[in-house]
Amino acid sequence: MSKLLSSANKEVLFMGNEAIARGALEAGVNVAAAYPGTPSSEVIENLASVAKERNLYVEWSTNEKVAAEVAAAASFAGLRSMCVMKQNGVNVASDFLLHLTASGTRGGIVLVICEDPGALSSVNEGESRYFARMLEMPLLEPADFQEAKDLTKWAFELSEKIHNIVMLRSVTRMSHASGNVICGKLPNKIRQARFVYDGPLTDPLKGPVISTPVGVKHKLQQEKLKTARELFEKSLFNKYIGPKKPRLLIITSSACYLYAKEAVSMLGLQNRVGILKLGCTWPLPEKLLKKYLRLTNKIMIVEEVLPFMEENIKVLAASYPKEIGVKTFYGKIDGTFPSVGELNPDVVAEALAKIMKVKYKKLPVSYAQELRKVAEVIPSRDQTFCPGCPHRASFWNINAALKLDGRDGFVCGDIGCYAMASLTPAIGFYTVRTLHSMGSGTGLASGFAKLDMFGFDKPVLSVCGDSTFYHAVIPALINARHHQADITFVVLDNAGTAMTGFQPHPGLTVSATGENVPAVDIGKICAALGAKVAVSDPFDLEATTKKLGAFLEEKVNLKILILRQICALSPEKKGKKQYDVKVSDELCLGDECGCNRLCTRIFRCPALTWDKAKRKAVVDEVICAGCGFCSSICPQNAIVKAKARVL
Amino acid sequence: MTKRLSSQKLLKNNVLDTHLCTGCGACVSLCPYQAIYNDRTIQFHYCDLADGKCHAYCPRTPTDFDRLRELLFEAADLTPEIGALKAYYLTRAADPELRAVVQHGGTVTALLELALAEGLIDAALVSSDVEQYLHYGTVVYDKAALRKSAGVKFVVFPMAAAFNQFAQREKGRAGVVATPCQALALAKMKLNIDKDKEQKVNQLCLVIGLYCGWALSAEKFSALLAKKDIKKENIKRMDIPAGKNILELYTREGVKEIPLAEAQACVRDACNYCIDSTAEYADVSVGAARFTGTADEQRGWNQLVVRTRKGGDLVDMAVKRGVLEIKEAPAESLRQLKEAAMEKKKNALANIAHKSGSAKNLLYLDSRDEMLREILKTD
Repeated sequence: MSKLLSSANKEVLFMGNEAIARGALEAGVNVAAAYPGTPSSEVIENLASVAKERNLYVEWSTNEKVAAEVAAAASFAGLRSMCVMKQNGVNVASDFLLHLTASGTRGGIVLVICEDPGALSSVNEGESRYFARMLEMPLLEPADFQEAKDLTKWAFELSEKIHNIVMLRSVTRMSHASGNVICGKLPNKIRQARFVYDGPLTDPLKGPVISTPVGVKHKLQQEKLKTARELFEKSLFNKYIGPKKPRLLIITSSACYLYAKEAVSMLGLQNRVGILKLGCTWPLPEKLLKKYLRLTNKIMIVEEVLPFMEENIKVLAASYPKEIGVKTFYGKIDGTFPSVGELNPDVVAEALAKIMKVKYKKLPVSYAQELRKVAEVIPSRDQTFCPGCPHRASFWNINAALKLDGRDGFVCGDIGCYAMASLTPAIGFYTVRTLHSMGSGTGLASGFAKLDMFGFDKPVLSVCGDSTFYHAVIPALINARHHQADITFVVLDNAGTAMTGFQPHPGLTVSATGENVPAVDIGKICAALGAKVAVSDPFDLEATTKKLGAFLEEKVNLKILILRQICALSPEKKGKKQYDVKVSDELCLGDECGCNRLCTRIFRCPALTWDKAKRKAVVDEVICAGCGFCSSICPQNAIVKAKARVL
Repeated sequence: MTKRLSSQKLLKNNVLDTHLCTGCGACVSLCPYQAIYNDRTIQFHYCDLADGKCHAYCPRTPTDFDRLRELLFEAADLTPEIGALKAYYLTRAADPELRAVVQHGGTVTALLELALAEGLIDAALVSSDVEQYLHYGTVVYDKAALRKSAGVKFVVFPMAAAFNQFAQREKGRAGVVATPCQALALAKMKLNIDKDKEQKVNQLCLVIGLYCGWALSAEKFSALLAKKDIKKENIKRMDIPAGKNILELYTREGVKEIPLAEAQACVRDACNYCIDSTAEYADVSVGAARFTGTADEQRGWNQLVVRTRKGGDLVDMAVKRGVLEIKEAPAESLRQLKEAAMEKKKNALANIAHKSGSAKNLLYLDSRDEMLREILKTD
């Protein structure tokens, strides 16, 4: 049995995202939808794994907006639902969320956001807490794993009480770290879906679910927020630890609470510094804050990404100077904390020590020296595509086609593993020149192509993966086609949402819960657009480069090349070599060759290494995935591939 | 210390970016970094090697011409106008069937046929119209195939690349038909044999040079053809008939004419900086017999310049075997050839000086070179 279904009162080691999933199960969630994105993906994966036992509907939606809509429909029908996304997913869903918070909801619905401070696995440091304020919905932030479960469960109750969606924010260090959680009861009640819509327009619980009349609904929405605030004032998820009369008060939330606690204890300031940990961060519990702000004049706000709490607390403090006095704030705005990147206990301790005028012992010098010694013997690892990755071959082909074309064309990149081609230009052979949000590569390409009337004369390509294609590229393609933008669009189809861990997408015949579903064919969609469509195997260098070259040359307004090759790490392919690849000692001329180590210096598949003694290339057969592509780039044909024997 | 630029970077800075590249392909097929495509030299990836063959072989990088002439020719044969000159004839293929399929006298084809038949070479490398992806020229092993590819094209095929590619794949000896820039590139390969560890250049046994006033840029010319609605693949051969100021295209749909000025607008930039119109670094050089006053009399004949002993031996054999018909050229013919060659040299040198901004800086040429000083002196 999955540990996710552990019985009540059992203490279980849960990853933050597992704790969130367990909280949802304890709340009796019925429907969960999401688009994968690190660090959020495990919530749905876990729910999907128990979908059968718990009678859940779980799906990987096409994108975050659709996920929010699917979850909202369940709420409208009186069920409990959740949608999960990473920080930038909220931007995608935000238009729907603006209207959803205005129309209100029925069954409990929770929007789980897993943010990535420091952009450990993102190309942005997006901050979604402002959406809570902007879209006027309550915001909860768990500060440990138990809270991750408990707050999630409570979020459903809150949502059902105020009839609006509730946002729950986690961060990478919460979602991906693990801690002990005492389980609660799993409910047995089965809800029936029933959508009532024939009441009056102004009755959000019986009439149609709609954001108009705006005046009425908006007012109602704000009253819901007031109710939430009142509940927050009494919530046990907000708590104070520290002396009765602290010299300094730290106000914090989320994983930063743990950093703050550790910093205070590291510096031995438990008797002089208090910590107010907030689990409910929007709307701020005003009375509670007023009470604790009165304790001292030095207030430190510890939070990651943007100074959301700091701004809101400052506004609050400015409203009651007579009651609470004049404060000095330490936070991101005055530079006490860095304005970007993650925090950690050391950063907090250093700032705290300065203000409290105590000595902060950084790591002893010897320790740092030892660390450096260790670092020296760890082999350096490039950020690069995996051995056998079809993307490396695809960009090799794209570079060749662009160079042969000779007009200095470039690629607009997109979001997926292949984004690495722009993050580390050498990996994409210096072809990718823009990188933004999902789907924007093709939108940008469509725009570039229309600049010819201003003298722009470079051919433009865009790339995207198969999952990204469904997520956000289709509108950009329609735009390109309709406006006759002369672009070449390359689908890097590796048969799965590879970067986030092979979640299925609409191009596949399997759903999140393992059921058989019809695949939506990328090629047919492209053909229906009226585009010129071709398919190629990126491992076929000559054929692919030729097709790309022909597309670049052709003056047709939208050309689409689907490069189809399964990801080397996909469960179907992993560990199964198509070829046994070897460097022939006889044929490889090593440093004597004019190739200047093309395979290890430029192509740089991690499976190709340079044997310093022999001064020749060798294939590391342990990590070689057996794709065989490198055999077509060696000018000496010294990289030899033979059909692998089936074991 | 200033950082030494890689050979590839030097080629890019001093040859490609300055539009001196002739598209000969000498820098291609030596390594995986460079290629020729649609008449353009392409650098796929960055190479940081210095002192590379690509730079050494390029006909538009500095050359030790004194050493080169010493290596290839006898000092007594050297002329400032048209390079080494052992003998000068009017020639044509003896076989009327061959003459019927070629443009002028069929001398090039006849000589190659003989060299193949006599086993002097194993393969002839000739230009090819067949669109092949990154394959250069056509390797021909017999007479029939040779006759198929005969004909003047006016567009440069990267024959130096064709040789590099041939030498990489095959062990045999090759005869190459080359334009002046290509002949220079091939000669530079021999000059830099120390860089060629496997001595592949020894496979280069015969270079038949072609007279060349200029060559068309494939890109520009294709655009012109597209404008005129002429299909490139339908062109069998081209000609510039004397005194008519037109370029004749012999296509499957008959002869089409393009005003010469329009065609000349498509000339490669590089041709403006070329001082060689007679392929001075070949074994023999061949052109159409065309000089004023005697046009009719010379129609269907070639001019042939014998430059090296090897070239002379081949021509002698061709005459002996009855493959080539030969006659003494009138003195006027040589005089006019030299005059035209000199004209080209002077124009090119002026263009080079204009490009560099100084008469002392002749880019890939050396203003101190003895032969160039002769030319510059005559001004």
